Amino acid sequence: MNTTILQQIDDDLGAIVQNARRSLVEIRTGRRGQGAGTIWHADGLIITNAHVVHDKSPTVTLADGRQFPARLLAHEPALDVAALAIDAGDLPAIELGESTTLRAGQWVLALGHPWGVHGAVSGGVVIGVGAEWTDLPQPQRGRLVSYDTSTGMEWLVASLQLRPGHSGGPMVDTAGRLVGINTMMAGPGVGVAVPVHVIKRYLKEAWYRTTA
Amino acid sequence: MSDTNTLTALSDGLAAAVETAGQSIVRVDARDRMPATGIVWSADGLIVTAHHVVQHDDAITVGLPDGSSVAANLVGRDPSTDIALLRTEAASLTPATWVEAADLKVGNLVLALGRPGRTVQATLGVVSALGDAWRTGAGGNVDRYLQTDVVMYAGFSGGPLVDVAGRVAGLNSSALARGVSVALPASTVRSVVETLLAHGRVRRGYLGVSTQRVRLPANLSEQLGQETGLLIGAVVPDSPAEQAGLFMGDTIVAVAGEPVRHHDDLLAKLSGDRVGQPVPLRIVRGGQVVDVPVTVGERE
Repeated sequence: MNTTILQQIDDDLGAIVQNARRSLVEIRTGRRGQGAGTIWHADGLIITNAHVVHDKSPTVTLADGRQFPARLLAHEPALDVAALAIDAGDLPAIELGESTTLRAGQWVLALGHPWGVHGAVSGGVVIGVGAEWTDLPQPQRGRLVSYDTSTGMEWLVASLQLRPGHSGGPMVDTAGRLVGINTMMAGPGVGVAVPVHVIKRYLKEAWYRTTA
Repeated sequence: MSDTNTLTALSDGLAAAVETAGQSIVRVDARDRMPATGIVWSADGLIVTAHHVVQHDDAITVGLPDGSSVAANLVGRDPSTDIALLRTEAASLTPATWVEAADLKVGNLVLALGRPGRTVQATLGVVSALGDAWRTGAGGNVDRYLQTDVVMYAGFSGGPLVDVAGRVAGLNSSALARGVSVALPASTVRSVVETLLAHGRVRRGYLGVSTQRVRLPANLSEQLGQETGLLIGAVVPDSPAEQAGLFMGDTIVAVAGEPVRHHDDLLAKLSGDRVGQPVPLRIVRGGQVVDVPVTVGERE
């Protein structure tokens, strides 16, 4: 029966959302509203968008309600990525997925706090992933070495709704693994994320820069 | 989380449908802004796409699924259904497998595909409505109404609507309807392609009048058995209408013995096979019903 398959898909969606919500945090900076963030590492590393962080001492609220002052570790407006640290351990870090092998048509879910609605979810399919987006923001030459300016900026584009408050939250695949960080809309029903492989590359580079 | 849940199976199935259909999806570079999409019609190089994305008739480039690019010529175009047919020199392309609208149901999952760049892109939706034949704003005849809720991303025009098996159910165009995603069904695409191959264009009849729908006086309405007709507001100089002696102020009530109540009725009577043929027009002039023969012209 078709209803059985749809019921299974429903259950799978519910399980993915329940799991991913544990790694979704809220970020407040100054008095300028709220954004979302994603727990990258159990030792307190939070990834979000650069445009979510407006000052150097944001407050992070975990899914369980605990609040922590955060330190700004890295901030890169060109990639729209920021990294925060909080003094906490054993956090429910999200499992990292593969964004380079994502295929058009695959299902993804985006979590965040759109218009302040906590832990809201929107779903859709991957439109495409890569550097072929002439209508999306492009790299500023000489700004960074973490991508090749000749090929253009890499984005993960999906047919789902993103709204203010989704920014910094996780975009996950059907196994609940992180494939991107929700970043912006590109027209009605089109959501854009920074792919997880771009963030990995950036974090490595930011780490070498701070330790060199 | 497991890798083998049902949602993953659905997700991988959709991606597989995209890959299957994607072998028959090409990039069409024939306008100044971003490229659009086309569908491989035949292995020997015919590509069907949207008329409105082919802005120049020469210097057309088609990007093939293997990453190579080839030059293409315009075989013909039909603005009324927004279809254009291109021919490339490429051999052994993979033609799309088509599925008829009759095999679709409202609620079925469908994907819109595009290849505005090197890779295939996709959005997902459901079949929202299936209806009878309809006429486009430009006067084109479409066999079935096929509406979906797929998002038409930039450069998707001319690309396919695909079912979960990767078969092409229609040709997507953002120019057919405002605000909703409407696709041309396989049967309409086929008949337009065949006509374009034979004649290079789809012929439409032409009178040379602009009309407005008006309510008929009660006595005429009773006599003719219809409540409305088309009042002629202007007659184009040297047009078939002028040559037949039609005037501003005449009201068209029937063509070839069939009532004309709406603008659509008139367009339907002016099919391509009437071009050059004498057709009796029934009009109301000065309160009298008059029959006037008109030789239908061809719309440019």
